[in-house]
Amino acid sequence: MTATMATRPGGTAVVDRPGSRQQSQVTRLLPTWLIALVIAALALFVLAPVVYIVLASLNSDISVARGDFWPAVFTPSNYANIWTNVGLANGLMNSILVAGSTAVVSAALSIGTAYVLVRYQFFGRLTIMRGLLALQSVPGTLLVLPVFVLFSSSATYLGLQVIGTRWGLFITYLTFALPFSTWVMVTYLRGLPRELEEAARIDGATSFGILTRIILPLSWPGIIVSGIFAFLLGWNDVLFASVMTNPESQTAAVALQIFATSTEGGAIPYYGQMMASALVCAAPVVILYLFFQKYLVGGLTAGGVK
Amino acid sequence: MTTSNPASGTRHAARAARRAAGPAPAVGPDSTSGESPTRSVPVIAEGLETPAGGRRRRGPSERNRPLWMLIPGGVLMVIVIIVPLLLGIYMSFLDLDQYTLRQWIEAPFIGVANYIEAVSQTNLFHGVWLSVSYSFIATVIAMPIGIAAAVATQNAFKGRALVRSVFLIPYVLPSFVVATVWRTMFQPGSIIDKAFHVFGADPGLFLNGPNTYWTLVFVQIWASWPFIYLLALAGLQAVDHEVHEAAALDGALWWKKLRYVVFPYLRGPISLAFIIGMLNHINNFTLPFVLFGIPAPHDVELLPVLTYVTSFQSFRFGLSAAMAVVSLILIAIPLFIYLRVVKLDDAEQGGRK
Repeated sequence: MTATMATRPGGTAVVDRPGSRQQSQVTRLLPTWLIALVIAALALFVLAPVVYIVLASLNSDISVARGDFWPAVFTPSNYANIWTNVGLANGLMNSILVAGSTAVVSAALSIGTAYVLVRYQFFGRLTIMRGLLALQSVPGTLLVLPVFVLFSSSATYLGLQVIGTRWGLFITYLTFALPFSTWVMVTYLRGLPRELEEAARIDGATSFGILTRIILPLSWPGIIVSGIFAFLLGWNDVLFASVMTNPESQTAAVALQIFATSTEGGAIPYYGQMMASALVCAAPVVILYLFFQKYLVGGLTAGGVK
Repeated sequence: MTTSNPASGTRHAARAARRAAGPAPAVGPDSTSGESPTRSVPVIAEGLETPAGGRRRRGPSERNRPLWMLIPGGVLMVIVIIVPLLLGIYMSFLDLDQYTLRQWIEAPFIGVANYIEAVSQTNLFHGVWLSVSYSFIATVIAMPIGIAAAVATQNAFKGRALVRSVFLIPYVLPSFVVATVWRTMFQPGSIIDKAFHVFGADPGLFLNGPNTYWTLVFVQIWASWPFIYLLALAGLQAVDHEVHEAAALDGALWWKKLRYVVFPYLRGPISLAFIIGMLNHINNFTLPFVLFGIPAPHDVELLPVLTYVTSFQSFRFGLSAAMAVVSLILIAIPLFIYLRVVKLDDAEQGGRK
């Protein structure tokens, strides 16, 4: 390898060709046996619980309780029973409505905010950007009580019932999603060339026109990433949903949590149904991820925040 | 003017025309300093800009900035984050329980009594110590795992895309699902218990008693190493190809190359991952809450769980607010470092996708 490169002055061009054998020889960091070992160990580490949840969701409760890996009797009826026992249908519906609308609205708001932050200069701009990063880290446990009190007060003083409705959750998740969604859009919009916007401006387009007709069509990857993260925030939350919902408006996360704790008091918990419900709750997220994997990984490293 | 092509030599003409047409709506720092011929590198110019510079350049040409677009998001963030944040701090000075909550505005102001009680009569310090130590241990152990995964999947091989997707599974799964699954696996007599017994070991209970702390650390590592992996992967991609070649020419052995050539490139991304990991773990409520339930075993009574229980089980809302303020102070330290490290106007960050 070294000889090839030394004898050929133009060798770098060959070496640079992506995917060529030489390139992977040069950039390889570990010997093959170690690569295989690391990958095998980590794949086992990750996949063991994942395979377990699939098998346990098809298993009988007794078999899970005594620690069987392979189902003694396949029990696909778990997947039928969760709809009546767990109240999962209602929970999934609420989760989809709340997280879905959070995703759409948060993406729409964050692209406007990000556009102004990236393309315009004004007093306080850097403070706002710093604030966007800081607000992502405000502990939820600090906010949950005051938000609850504030929303309850709106019922007392304004006659607006927010607690216990999907609206309350929607407003909360939307706001918590905005700092990160906006930050993702900021990093995305920075990468867009300005020439098109300037041409449109010369043609007399307004700022809003430029945003909707030029920036928006170019920004779909960024919009998807910021929308999906907003969706995940709503889908994954337990803290706010556990306090601000009633049985009618509870999300899938809360439904699963309540089912898990209520069933464990008795003889043998409904492990099979619990695992089946967990799998059903994870499914939308996994599907979203598989569809948009390419964008998501890029957006993650750019935003640098979970 | 409608036919102006920004990509060619007509650019200068267009700019001249725009200047002649009066106030230009475009107000990027580079467009106001439009005389410079560096139009093609606007992002670098933006990176050099300072707040003072931005203020200095303000002029009549900036009247058309669509700042109203900041309003919807801004209003929401003020009402649902900033006002509650201040309200939470205010509540920590009130004697607030289930009787006074309804009329919280008239609740008696008791100064720092909640803080004194939190420090002297509750497990606050215990919770703070658990939160910080568990966050630190989980982050530190997840780091070599994530880096090893990134280093192993850096080179192209058949099936690499699949391996990467598998590695990201724990990151993608919702926390409450992860916690529910591990909770089932850690039940007494369940699969993990059984596996230990196969090797003749009897570790005792995982979801109760002193083992709970390490159960939590373990599950947290399982859930968060892929995040380190992602950031390390991005860092590895920044290693210049020339550097690889130079190392190959020198005939460097693989571990020397890793230690002296590649790892220095990872210092930045890994420090960032460390800080963000600490922030996420200290604030993590869902994982301990779902994994152990409420009331939490003594050894996993982390600060967020303690705050939650004080509010929604004991109904000591003022006391709980004081605890929450302590958690705010706790995350202020890594957050401060984070804000210093992240470049707000960095061109390179946007290009990394």
